[in-house]
Amino acid sequence: MRMKSARLKLIPFALILAATAAFAAQLDETPPSQPVSGSEPISGSAAVSGSTVGLSDSAGLRATVFGTPPQDMASLPAKVPLSEINIELPWRLPLPKILWFDSKLRVWLSAQDRPAPLAIVISGTGSDGNTKTISVLRAALYGAGYHVLTMPSPTFPGFIVSASRTGVAGDLMQDGSDLYAAMQEIIAHLPRKVRVTDIDVLGYSLGGANAAIVKSIDATEHKLKIHRVVMINPPVSLFSSVGRLDRLFAATIGPGDRAVELLYRRLYAQIANLYRASDRLELDENFLYSAAAVTLKTDAEFSAAIAMTFRLQLVDMFFIGDLYAKTGVITDPAHPPKVGDSLEDIQRDLRAKPFADYFTRVFAPYYLMRRPDATSASLIAANRLDIITDTLRDDGDYYAQTSSNDLIINRRELSWLQDTLGSRIIVYDHGGHLGEVGDRQQVADMLDMLSGRWPRNAP
Amino acid sequence: MRAAVLLGIIALALGGCAAQMVSIRKVPDQTPAADNAAAAANAAAFAEAAAAESGNDSAQEAREAHEAHDVREAPPILTPADAPPMYTYDPWERLNRFTYRFNARFDEAIFLPVADTYRRAPRPIRAGVHNFFGNLTEVDSIINYTLQWRLKYGLRSLERLAINSTIGIGGLFDVATKLKLPGTPTGFATTLAKWGMHPGPYLVIPLLGPSTLRDGVGYLADYGVGYGINIANLYRGNVSWGLLVVNGTDQRANIDFRYYSGGSPFEYETIRFLYVRRRLIEDEGLHTKEPVKKSEDEIPAGK
Repeated sequence: MRMKSARLKLIPFALILAATAAFAAQLDETPPSQPVSGSEPISGSAAVSGSTVGLSDSAGLRATVFGTPPQDMASLPAKVPLSEINIELPWRLPLPKILWFDSKLRVWLSAQDRPAPLAIVISGTGSDGNTKTISVLRAALYGAGYHVLTMPSPTFPGFIVSASRTGVAGDLMQDGSDLYAAMQEIIAHLPRKVRVTDIDVLGYSLGGANAAIVKSIDATEHKLKIHRVVMINPPVSLFSSVGRLDRLFAATIGPGDRAVELLYRRLYAQIANLYRASDRLELDENFLYSAAAVTLKTDAEFSAAIAMTFRLQLVDMFFIGDLYAKTGVITDPAHPPKVGDSLEDIQRDLRAKPFADYFTRVFAPYYLMRRPDATSASLIAANRLDIITDTLRDDGDYYAQTSSNDLIINRRELSWLQDTLGSRIIVYDHGGHLGEVGDRQQVADMLDMLSGRWPRNAP
Repeated sequence: MRAAVLLGIIALALGGCAAQMVSIRKVPDQTPAADNAAAAANAAAFAEAAAAESGNDSAQEAREAHEAHDVREAPPILTPADAPPMYTYDPWERLNRFTYRFNARFDEAIFLPVADTYRRAPRPIRAGVHNFFGNLTEVDSIINYTLQWRLKYGLRSLERLAINSTIGIGGLFDVATKLKLPGTPTGFATTLAKWGMHPGPYLVIPLLGPSTLRDGVGYLADYGVGYGINIANLYRGNVSWGLLVVNGTDQRANIDFRYYSGGSPFEYETIRFLYVRRRLIEDEGLHTKEPVKKSEDEIPAGK
């Protein structure tokens, strides 16, 4: 008569795999270009130099991993209703059998019961539309009276398979156009009782850049009439230094899968020791969070956690891109893996591959073939936020929030954002990458930006 | 006859129900304010614990401090070399993958929709159901804690059973937890682990999900104990099938897991890795008094 717990509640355990991925899950498409002389070196760590962590300092790395401390959180509503919408998109590419479970795009809706503006939130690199960061933003926006629709990143495997027209993710314009089309389909199929008075788009990390591109597309197509955009910790250049997080990975973890295995062994031993010394009977989420706080102490360890998290988020995108583009880097296009085949060796290989490999061996070959005039350099240039510089400068409805110690941008890129957006950007002195999301000031500023009350001291 | 109808419904659900272009599924409300308060409390408790142990830089020192005011004998410190390799022993992989896919489809088509419907029942009713089944497991926990020679916990389970079955009206109310006797169920799988049995090959059990041979045997034994004792004829009477379904639904409704929610082609590998590592670490916790066996590089974890 008794059916013991299915023991499925082990997702939190992903912390072991990703060295506290739950904290750092927001980590994003990295960016930044060449290191700028004068960026602060990280104190106390020889392995991590200023060139690999952008503007970040020790506090920035810590904030990136641990997020906003609970006591600094803005006041959030007691209850937020939530529905998931699964939608099949008419332009989906033929579904590879081994990806059968990704046939529909999944997004999340929190609807008000009265007419209200709709805030669409786009996730960061490789993430779905229901991350921890998303939950915080959703709560803040819902509490302020918005309908909230949260969407995965166009680099999320479920999005690539169900909504991409190429299967090769990471191109700003292509991803923006896929996102824009998907948004239209979703909004057309919202329940009738959801009455939308206005549409704003937000995005964090890579999603911030996606949001800006989507609005710029809408400015010519007018299908959604997107009003305002808020970019939270956006990257400026996606590919010009794809090596940055790769270098961070190489510097803090080491090259190849052997290094990943060593990291894993170290974490396993540390967590097992902590667990044995504790009085806990079950290895649960709270324990792992506490364990992470003890295990991760130095800048090098924070950096390793960030680099590992990022790497793991790319594995799926790399695999799927190669499968669709038939570039043969991971799997043989003539004999793709079948349902039921073990993928362990493939996953192992992918973990050891730097992101640069995705660009040079899958992304560039695919797009160069389809864009006869393109070169590698032009592909890189096309993946910078400055492709819409004029729009960002002249259209007063683009806003941004970032931190002066965000590891995904360097000093020059931060200056570019400030010059372009003027008073429509706020730069916090804390938070690193996304570690300020949800704190009182960030939430208040975000809501003021969205409602046009920014800058506050304007007449 | 009933079985045939049930089979028909399952076939329909697996075959066609997911075919429409848009589907909307209500999921449980989020409770951000309460979540944040809980996170703050957890952080505060942790900071307190950390402050109490401040000054101890290494795990070794922390452990010695622990020993100083605790009779519990400390385990030898694990080193990275003691960690099991990343490969997991999975000789039945093809069958396991098939079962995993079946479970995912079954979950999507039947288990989840049923659990979603169940969630619409008023909270006190669901809590009553959950407590009722939880109370029944205490019998098994008492037996297994005894077999594991962890009498402190066995006694706690016994107290819980006594309090909840009486003051808690047949287990419908979890009074014991309010009296600072929280439930910590155990089972024969843990007993086998305590006795030194390795997890063995990875095993995906139909409907239940990720497991190992040892844990699977443990579940069967737990069921056998329930069946053997047969409290109030709940396990062998006319209602036992219905109760099994309600219990399963209650369990599913309380597990926040969605197959393939990460969209990853490597989900089978990832879940297998995480499940087995988690069990191995829990095993380490059980073996605190015994020297740890060194694992060989060539032997995959779990073997």
